[in-house]
Amino acid sequence: MKRKESFLLQQVGDENLLVPIGAQVMDTNGIITLNATAAFIWEELADEKTAAELAAGLVERFDVGPDQAAADVRTFTGELRENGLLA
Amino acid sequence: MSGLPSHYGELVRELQRIASERLQPLNATFELTRRCNLGCRMCYVAMQASDAEEASRELSASSWLDIARQAREEGTLFLLLTGGEVFLRPDFFDIYDPLTTMGFVISLYTNATLCNSSVAERLADAPPHKIEVSLYGATAATYEGITGVRGSFERCRKGIEALLKHGVNVSLKATITRSNLRELPLMRELADQWGLPLSASWMLTGRTDGGPSDVDACRLTPEEAIRLESLDSAMLDEWRKGIQKAAPENFYCQAGKSAFVIDAAGRMHVCLDLPEPGILVPVHGFRKAWAGVVDYVHRAPGLSAECRDCDAVHYCAICPAWSSLEHGELSGSVRYLCSVAKERKKRYES
Repeated sequence: MKRKESFLLQQVGDENLLVPIGAQVMDTNGIITLNATAAFIWEELADEKTAAELAAGLVERFDVGPDQAAADVRTFTGELRENGLLA
Repeated sequence: MSGLPSHYGELVRELQRIASERLQPLNATFELTRRCNLGCRMCYVAMQASDAEEASRELSASSWLDIARQAREEGTLFLLLTGGEVFLRPDFFDIYDPLTTMGFVISLYTNATLCNSSVAERLADAPPHKIEVSLYGATAATYEGITGVRGSFERCRKGIEALLKHGVNVSLKATITRSNLRELPLMRELADQWGLPLSASWMLTGRTDGGPSDVDACRLTPEEAIRLESLDSAMLDEWRKGIQKAAPENFYCQAGKSAFVIDAAGRMHVCLDLPEPGILVPVHGFRKAWAGVVDYVHRAPGLSAECRDCDAVHYCAICPAWSSLEHGELSGSVRYLCSVAKERKKRYES
């Protein structure tokens, strides 16, 4: 899977913000907030990645076990899919 | 993990708080032109649309985009495009289209009289997060009595309807003067017919270039102003919150802490009402200009002794911009605000 290129990730302090750009503003008029792991996954999804690759990245980067990482990836990518944020 | 925050206003307030602490220039206002196709008597800026000398001073599209890129690098997120009337610029979309790809949350102020179908369609391709349309009346007679331009009410109405037809997010901002106050209920009806929110603003300031202004004759009386304000629950809450706080040192807003303005010629200022310190961004660069604005606000004097000792100071909107506009100094009372504050105190304490 890969992210849509219709958002840019911005930071204000520790806040990670997904800002819709171009025509996407018609569908998403506001800012989406991401926690640190979600922001990491979003950045990773600039290139095509599998769920297993994303979970492995989370384990390497954050203090999280493989099961929790897989669950986090499932939840977040599910949200991305539901909201039409995946390419 | 993610999602559109259910309390968007709270998120924005939190971002403002973080940015102010870090002195991050989160909020930009680009005044793309000072020229306008309307001639409102009370306007703080309006230069004539045909003013070629003024037009020649305006930054080019490429300069605006260069400034925008620098602002983005320094942490600007919220970007307001305003005028004058922005659609007077024939190169408006040369500026606007690239801005929509940079990750700003864009707002746009317009009088909508130039928003024909092709402008609305073009905006809808990459819409701003919000367009705020100024409204001066609910009838042609009242609206045009203020704008001084025959046919402008109908063009405004058509412009709003073109934006709505193309699905662009619009809200209305009624600028209230003594001559259109009686039409505010009708303006609300009009807004309801369009399904649009309408806010009413009555705080009129004089011209920032020191030119002659009819603002004194246009302002509501303090009694009219506070009667109107008391109908606005959000505004009431803001004042009640403010009343519990200490009087501000100087600027109580975000100016010079997280907000700045760049005027049509590329000078960075504290706010639209206070065209200082006026550091040319194309010459000095964004970072240096922002540092200058922060320093200017930091050094601005606090309230005058007269204001500090006033028993209505917690009910007053006095700030250096108002003092400067009224008598050229950054500190000092403003007679109109004094009267409004005393009226506010009388109403809220009763």
